[in-house]
Amino acid sequence: MGANVAVEGVSRGYGAGASRVVALEDVSFTLAPGSFTALLGPSGCGKSTLLHLLGALDRPDAGRVLVAGRDLARFSPGEEDLYRRRTVATVFQFFNLLPTMNALENVRLPLLLDGASVAKADARAKEALLEVGLEGRERSFPYELSGGQMQRVAIARALSGSPELLLADEPTGNLDSKTGGQVLELVARLHRERGLTVVMATHAAEAAAVATSVLRLRDGRLEPRAS
Amino acid sequence: MSVRHLSLPLAVRPARRDRLRFLLTLFGVAVGVATITAIALANGSVLASFSASVDAVAGKASYTVSSDAGSLPEETLNRLAWLRGIGGAAVPAILDTALTKDTGDVVEVLGIDPLSEALVREHAVSQSKEVRRAGAADLSRLAQLLEPGTLVVTEPFARAHGLAVGSELGLVAGARDHVLRVVAVVASRGAAESSAGSIVFTDLANAQELFGKKGRLDRIDIVLPEGLSTESRTRLEEEIRTSLPEGASVGRPSRRTETVERLVRSFRVNLTALGLIALLVGAFFVYNTLLVSVLRRRTDIGTVRALGASARAVFGVFLLEGALLGVLGSALGLGLGILLAKAALFAIGGTATQLYVPTASPRLFLSPVTLALSFGTGVVASILSALAPALEAARVAPASSMRTGSLETAKRSSAPRFALLALGLFAAAAVAARQEPLAGLPVFGFLAVFCVVAGAGLLAPLAVTVAGRLPQRPLARLFGPEALIAQASLQGSLSRTSVAVAALTLALSMMVGVAVMVGSFRGTVVRWVSDTLRADLFVSPAGGKSGASFGRLPDEAIALVAGVPGIAHVDPYLAISALRNGAPFTIGSGRFEVLAANGTLPFLDGRPAKDVLLAARAGGEAVVSEPYAVKFGVTTGDLVELPSPKGPQRLRIAGVYSDYSNDRGTVSIDRDLFQSLYGLTGASSLAIWLAPGTDPDLARMRVLAAAKGRFALRVHTNVNLRKEVLRIFDQTFAVTWALEGVAIAVALLGVFHTLLALVLERRREIGLLRVLGTSVEGVKKAIRYEAAALGILGSLLGLATGAALAHLLIHVINKQSFGWTIATEWPAGFLAAAFTGVLLATLLAAERPATVAARTDPARALKEE
Ligand SMILES: Nc1ncnc2c1ncn2[C@@H]1O[C@H](COP(=O)(O)OP(=O)(O)O)[C@@H](O)[C@H]1O
Ligand SMILES: [Mg+2]
Repeated sequence: MGANVAVEGVSRGYGAGASRVVALEDVSFTLAPGSFTALLGPSGCGKSTLLHLLGALDRPDAGRVLVAGRDLARFSPGEEDLYRRRTVATVFQFFNLLPTMNALENVRLPLLLDGASVAKADARAKEALLEVGLEGRERSFPYELSGGQMQRVAIARALSGSPELLLADEPTGNLDSKTGGQVLELVARLHRERGLTVVMATHAAEAAAVATSVLRLRDGRLEPRAS
Repeated sequence: MSVRHLSLPLAVRPARRDRLRFLLTLFGVAVGVATITAIALANGSVLASFSASVDAVAGKASYTVSSDAGSLPEETLNRLAWLRGIGGAAVPAILDTALTKDTGDVVEVLGIDPLSEALVREHAVSQSKEVRRAGAADLSRLAQLLEPGTLVVTEPFARAHGLAVGSELGLVAGARDHVLRVVAVVASRGAAESSAGSIVFTDLANAQELFGKKGRLDRIDIVLPEGLSTESRTRLEEEIRTSLPEGASVGRPSRRTETVERLVRSFRVNLTALGLIALLVGAFFVYNTLLVSVLRRRTDIGTVRALGASARAVFGVFLLEGALLGVLGSALGLGLGILLAKAALFAIGGTATQLYVPTASPRLFLSPVTLALSFGTGVVASILSALAPALEAARVAPASSMRTGSLETAKRSSAPRFALLALGLFAAAAVAARQEPLAGLPVFGFLAVFCVVAGAGLLAPLAVTVAGRLPQRPLARLFGPEALIAQASLQGSLSRTSVAVAALTLALSMMVGVAVMVGSFRGTVVRWVSDTLRADLFVSPAGGKSGASFGRLPDEAIALVAGVPGIAHVDPYLAISALRNGAPFTIGSGRFEVLAANGTLPFLDGRPAKDVLLAARAGGEAVVSEPYAVKFGVTTGDLVELPSPKGPQRLRIAGVYSDYSNDRGTVSIDRDLFQSLYGLTGASSLAIWLAPGTDPDLARMRVLAAAKGRFALRVHTNVNLRKEVLRIFDQTFAVTWALEGVAIAVALLGVFHTLLALVLERRREIGLLRVLGTSVEGVKKAIRYEAAALGILGSLLGLATGAALAHLLIHVINKQSFGWTIATEWPAGFLAAAFTGVLLATLLAAERPATVAARTDPARALKEE
């Protein structure tokens, strides 16, 4: 079910001249299908930049990013949209739910965008919400939910479309440690049950512990792999 | 922390960042203020110049004697001879209007009595043979100058027409050409200041001859000895009154201005109400902009509150911001208004026939009171609109970091409350619409209009909420998932989207209301014209540039026209204006037997004109126009009292006919009765029926040929006159259309501005949509759907509200202001065009916001926080 990921000599910088910031420098690694990798490093080390590259939200200055064997930089705009709808799903630190939609509507949106009928999308979204333990909150708006619940909705949204690659950017960064732990458990469980490839960025070693492997980033460079 | 310290971070800096929106708001306020300013200034200038002319002509006169109907008999002067015995004077004059032969301009002609003139008016001769000889001249000399066939002109008039002492001036008066020789030029002082110098002076007998007023006077100015107590002045006034013959009255000279003021009042009030509605759109803008500011700056407000700023200070900041928007917008509006007023006065171009005041070129008079009032209205409206947003801001809890979303959803529950309030307003409107006019003005009618408009605005949140509840499945099936995104966003920003809908509703409803009213009015007039304008030719004295006709056709002209081959019947129409309780109306006359045989006059009760007119002629009765009946509250069978030189005449009303040509109201009587009462000859115009088989155009040429060199006539064929009537009608309502157009444009800017603000504010959400796999096209589509929804909701509400307004305008406001019955017509084509036009325009307004939205870089949008 999961996609394999290959990052080959990737660099990405921002700005020019004296104010140029190199966010990633010559980063290479591969991830096996169905692996759960934690991207660990302090704030500003380039984690989000890397996840954006994996999500086809951004393109590297140098090097290649391959997901399921396809070079993301070569996507046409249409292929890019399709990739974001079908292959990859993202969970963010600030949950990023659409404030104008309720839980169910948030979860079913990617399905609708992918052409599902409202009836079918509703059924799948309900299942996904059940899976993350939010049955009965379908009609709640984001502001009516706690942080943990919002993150669960975001996870349900990410999984409703059966992606092959799940990207999580500091998913517990905005939660207290108890709810954070529950969210991590949920991610770990879904990973186990669905066998999709997961990449989770975090600055906390405890969070990284739920992953099966850890990549350490420091100032845009990958530290030697320690298993 | 005080308002002073908070203003910079909370109000000024954000405004600078959000320049476009603030500029649009300023513009919205400015348009409203400009409209009311322009209307008030143009109107005020016309009245001021009229009043100045009245004062200039009145000179030192304490009282003026004039006729209640037509002119005074010359012997009135003898009855006032006793004034000389107490050191006063009675100075006779003719005051009428002529056209210059060279340019066709309107010029006032004052016929003066050389012997007594100096007692009342000042004239400063600046150029004459006398002056050349003696080096100076006073009025007694001027008097000696005026021989038959001569006149005195003012300096500006001499300049405009290239005249000097000795030159000749051609004038058209009473449809005849006259040539007069200039004997002196007077400086712009005293009476010469009247009509901005467009006045000439001639000898009394000369003027009587010119205007066919032999043995008649237009006015007698009364000068009282100086130093009289108020008491003795009042006593003298009473004595003068008792000396006067029937049908003449005495009053302050300013009475004429008051009469004119009454005439233009309805017109002005109607226009001003339209202007106030434009201002209402501006006020909506202020409300919207400030509410958005408050919503956006909730976090900042929470922070400053946590730092110790009081709720009152926060309230003050936003109120101040509203006031500032009001001050700047109103200042801009005053400037625009002055320009508009200038343009309007220029368009009036020397004759204010629309306003019934034939004064020459009114100059723009910048009344400080008018300017201050318009400015104040704009500022107060802005401050009132800022109240709600400022309260909203004051309610933000310290350090609250509530998101916009929470407030918006909380707002949703206020939609039903607003709707209830709207219902209350509609009920109030229904009650107000049934009230009688106040002082002849449809005050309650306008109140009803405001209630309906405000109620419709309050329905907007409900409309948006209903749209938000539309079933999703068919929406998604028909329009794709983007429709659901648009639906959620529409609902999620209820306070903004509903304001945009409200602004559209407002503007469109006014346009629809006015369009239906004007369309119906036009239809009614077209029908009326085809019913009443049955004669083949219409003849009147030439009107020059003004388009209006002045003076009377002499009897010889009538005889001449009647003798032209092919002409079967001539109905001479002769009218004078009269006063009833200070309100002016028209007394008209015609040959009822000719009208009965050939023409038609639509009587309200449906009786054939023939029967009513012949009965009226036989019984010495009158027929009155609908505006007269409505204005003075009379109907068939009642008595009308006509002032006349033979004493007040009480005539029975034989019938009420519809008339859309004159809103003063007309009492019409048979020509024989009229002539026996008023002793007037000639005609204001002639209706001519041709012998069967005569070509109207040919007959027209024959009439003109016969008159050539003797009378200056204007001859219209039937077809021609109908066209002319509609041209004047359309011209009258052109201003109205311009105002409506402005309101719509402002509302569309509002849609643009709402969408753009929403897009800028939702960068993050749009980025997220892109992350979730929405294509660029999809994002654009969602924005366009949102615009379309705003357009559709605004149009539907606007059309419904417009229908209600049309009803009020036709049956309450017009009826009460002018006394006209208008048959409602629904211009389906126009309404459909308005609906599609607004929809297309909203879509067009969405293009730029859609492009901005599509450009959102998801990675960057997500990193912002
Ligand atoms: N759009 C951008 N423009 C300029 N600099 C950026 C941008 N995005 C990230 N950076 C910089 O790149 C570096 C890595 O950022 P990021 O990938 O967000 O780190 P992390 O997610 O690990 O905190 C940081 O120094 C950050 O300031
Ligand atoms: Mg980050």
